[in-house]
Amino acid sequence: MTLMNRISILCLLMLSSALACSAQESPYFVTYNHHLEEPGNLDIEISTTTNVPRWGQKFYFAPYAEFEYGVTARWTTELYLEGQSTYGDSTLFTGWRFENRFRPLKREHWINPVLYLEYESINGADRIQKEIEGGAPDVSSRNSELRASTNHELETKLILSSDVHDWNLAGNFIVAKNFSQNEGFEFGYSLAFSRPLATLASGSSCRFCRENFSAGMEMYGGLGSTLGFGLHNTAHYAAPVFAWLVSDNATLRFSPGFGLNHESSPVLFRFGYSYEIKGFTSKLSRFFGGEK
Amino acid sequence: MKQLIIFGIVASLAAAAFGQNVSYQPDPNWLPPNQAAAKLNPLAQKSQAMPGGRKLFQRNCAECHNPDGSGMEKKHAADLQLPVVQNQSDGTLFWKITNGNPDRGMPAFSQLPELQRWQLVLFLRTLKRPL
Repeated sequence: MTLMNRISILCLLMLSSALACSAQESPYFVTYNHHLEEPGNLDIEISTTTNVPRWGQKFYFAPYAEFEYGVTARWTTELYLEGQSTYGDSTLFTGWRFENRFRPLKREHWINPVLYLEYESINGADRIQKEIEGGAPDVSSRNSELRASTNHELETKLILSSDVHDWNLAGNFIVAKNFSQNEGFEFGYSLAFSRPLATLASGSSCRFCRENFSAGMEMYGGLGSTLGFGLHNTAHYAAPVFAWLVSDNATLRFSPGFGLNHESSPVLFRFGYSYEIKGFTSKLSRFFGGEK
Repeated sequence: MKQLIIFGIVASLAAAAFGQNVSYQPDPNWLPPNQAAAKLNPLAQKSQAMPGGRKLFQRNCAECHNPDGSGMEKKHAADLQLPVVQNQSDGTLFWKITNGNPDRGMPAFSQLPELQRWQLVLFLRTLKRPL
């Protein structure tokens, strides 16, 4: 079998194996909690951020693909590929980011810290708003102007998360440094809580059982930079979040984020569809003739 | 001595036939605090909650522990049918599901609601091999 054939079959295998696996996705889009990807699993997610524009702004659609892999039980790594399409303007690839999350503590505690480190190479037209730090993103300029500036940014987060009586509470504090521009260090935050709609699993295999749904709320925004710290001149959103375990492997998520000040878009709609391939490493190894 | 070797071989073959992870050795450092170990399963008298536990087990655990709980050797996953597992208290099993054991590749399942973790414990009890 040629390598191309193997790769084609592998892609089919990935899709088909996904039909027999499960996912436990948090409903959050922006906030991270302390639950990492299970070791050896690959979670593939397609999400998008769209806006309701203010007067003089344009409607945009910013899709992104996310590949999340559990390296160990305490280390998850993730790659993002991002794009953007603006009505009456253009469609373009806006960049990529690579992130890692580490759990320093072995056991569950009342508050569970996670350390987050990310490198991103994105241009000024990026609008997925996976997090908001520093000032508000530029949604008025044309893509041709925005794409000219490429940002190489290092970002860290302190993730604190807690599970209390089936509620998950999480808070992220963001510090980012853009090496391409002299903006100082930029800061941001996000806070969230969520809960499944039912806590007891039914014995039957059902799609619309309450246990398959979870709901919550996120609040996120910027905190300025070392050149001007504070809540002003930056965007803030309050966003209800909903997740539905569509099948044993797939999760659908939705969140309308409502802008809380003039720097924010009136509404940001976020959609996400993810599926998890359990034992991805073993399947890959077996496919290429590795350990049975 | 010869009888002992034969017994060993037969026992290993029988274990393999059952798909059992014969090499499984519990981690001596993976122990819950006394208070956690003493917790009682609030669903212990609710056998109708067990099928939900089975569903959760197939969804979250079978990938490493096998659908029958016998454990995959290459993943160092415990054979949940063994007395060394079944003799542990409900509270201990609950604590182990909640916290995981990252050193041995067992993830934490604290993202599952508390009652669902107890449902898993309820189902684990059904895996006990009859004497």
